[in-house]
Amino acid sequence: MKRILKILGVVAFALVMLLPFAFLGYWALGEGWRFPRLWPDRWHTSAIESFFSGKFLESLLLSVVISISVAVFATALGYITAHYVGYHRQRKWLLRIAYLPFVASPVILATCLLFLWIKLRLVGTLFGVVLAQWMFAFSFAIVFFVPFWSPTIRATEELVYTLGGTARQALQKVLLPMSVASLRICFFQTFLMSWVQYGITLMVGGGKVQTLPVLVYFYVNEANVTFAAMASLLLTLPPLLLLAFNKKYLWNENG
Amino acid sequence: MDKQTFLLVENLSKSFGNEQVLKKISFTLEKNALMAILGRSGSGKTTLLKCLAGLDSPDFGEVLLSQQSIRKLPPQSRGVVYLFQEPLLFPHLNVYENLAFGLRLRKTTDSVIKNEVEEMLTQLGLTDHAKKAPHQLSGGQRQRVSFGRAVMTKPRLLLLDEPFASLDVDLKAQMQELFLELARNYDITAIWVTHDLKEALMMGTRFGFMQQGSLRLYESASDFVSDSQTGVQNEIAFWKGVLAQEK
Repeated sequence: MKRILKILGVVAFALVMLLPFAFLGYWALGEGWRFPRLWPDRWHTSAIESFFSGKFLESLLLSVVISISVAVFATALGYITAHYVGYHRQRKWLLRIAYLPFVASPVILATCLLFLWIKLRLVGTLFGVVLAQWMFAFSFAIVFFVPFWSPTIRATEELVYTLGGTARQALQKVLLPMSVASLRICFFQTFLMSWVQYGITLMVGGGKVQTLPVLVYFYVNEANVTFAAMASLLLTLPPLLLLAFNKKYLWNENG
Repeated sequence: MDKQTFLLVENLSKSFGNEQVLKKISFTLEKNALMAILGRSGSGKTTLLKCLAGLDSPDFGEVLLSQQSIRKLPPQSRGVVYLFQEPLLFPHLNVYENLAFGLRLRKTTDSVIKNEVEEMLTQLGLTDHAKKAPHQLSGGQRQRVSFGRAVMTKPRLLLLDEPFASLDVDLKAQMQELFLELARNYDITAIWVTHDLKEALMMGTRFGFMQQGSLRLYESASDFVSDSQTGVQNEIAFWKGVLAQEK
């Protein structure tokens, strides 16, 4: 009995976790469903065909480009900036400043900065969207990396110098290899932050930069449930792939 | 400066804000000598070593090594290796590669590296551990690799900042012996700072006592022992008291 309850527990857990995805698949491929029927009138693949015929693919590629750009720049610059912050005498204060973008809601901050973006003629441009999203991802990356630059890492870095290494050699041969796991996790997190970003993209993109989340809401507003479900499913795909590639680091499988 | 002087430190001073951490430190050291500097926490020992290694800049003073000023040189150009309290092995490199690290930085050929690392592994008694990762080693083994890695770069001056503070008594004694052997084999000139009286007396050929940023030097071990400030007399009195009670 205990074993059956355990199995039921696992099945229930898996169902709860997978239900949203199953439901999206159901909406994407089913047509003519009416409550309280269990199944739709028919199954179709028109959403998949549409995906390959244009708009979805365009949005998917755009989202990938934006998210990778944000993640690469936020991770790289966050790593370097956190090095400066981590070793600084005023580390605590600088870290508090880095937290500020989290204190304010991204959408509210973006609204406040919209005037600046308009003046800089960045509204409605890909670069404008990347820059706006990067601000928050960069802030996250600094907060994420500051603990890495601990007194032990500093001592290790200094040891490389006294052993005859330059700053470049210290970075290439010791610091980067020691921070591979952190770099991967930060890249993954900042990618996700950008990937699901809706408010800032809509505001700064002015509707011209149609990433997948924007497309989902567009279809929702249009009451196009099938396409909205298809776009939502695609939205989950790259993070799942990243999750699979980084499982070793994210779940610390090495113990 | 006489010809025998290998290291000359003159009026070295350093302040952090209003606090003067080093107060006109001056001393000389001959080649292959090992200066043991005793001092309590916060006496300025670590700052002194960091200034000599180029990891901190002194406010005033001069440092000459082989009669050349090194004060303005970056740490990588001084030939001065600073060993921290912790062994700080590179976790992504195995024992062999940790030992070879300094030589690889100097672009030494693979065959020379192989010979030198194998010789060092033998001296350290770590031949069977060459392929192991640092986390697979004991505390003493890690410390041995750390020494070996530093010595292999043939430093002009080796600075040791309480390297055995975290080891137990037996291991500490073994490591002290090993270090003295390495120092003899590789002609090491070193400054060793510690808060351990016995260690200072065992390791040093020259002695100093650091207190509130000032360094007092001693001509001999007996001078060091006689000075009431070093704490040796207190230690002797303590053990005499214990023995007297026994009787």
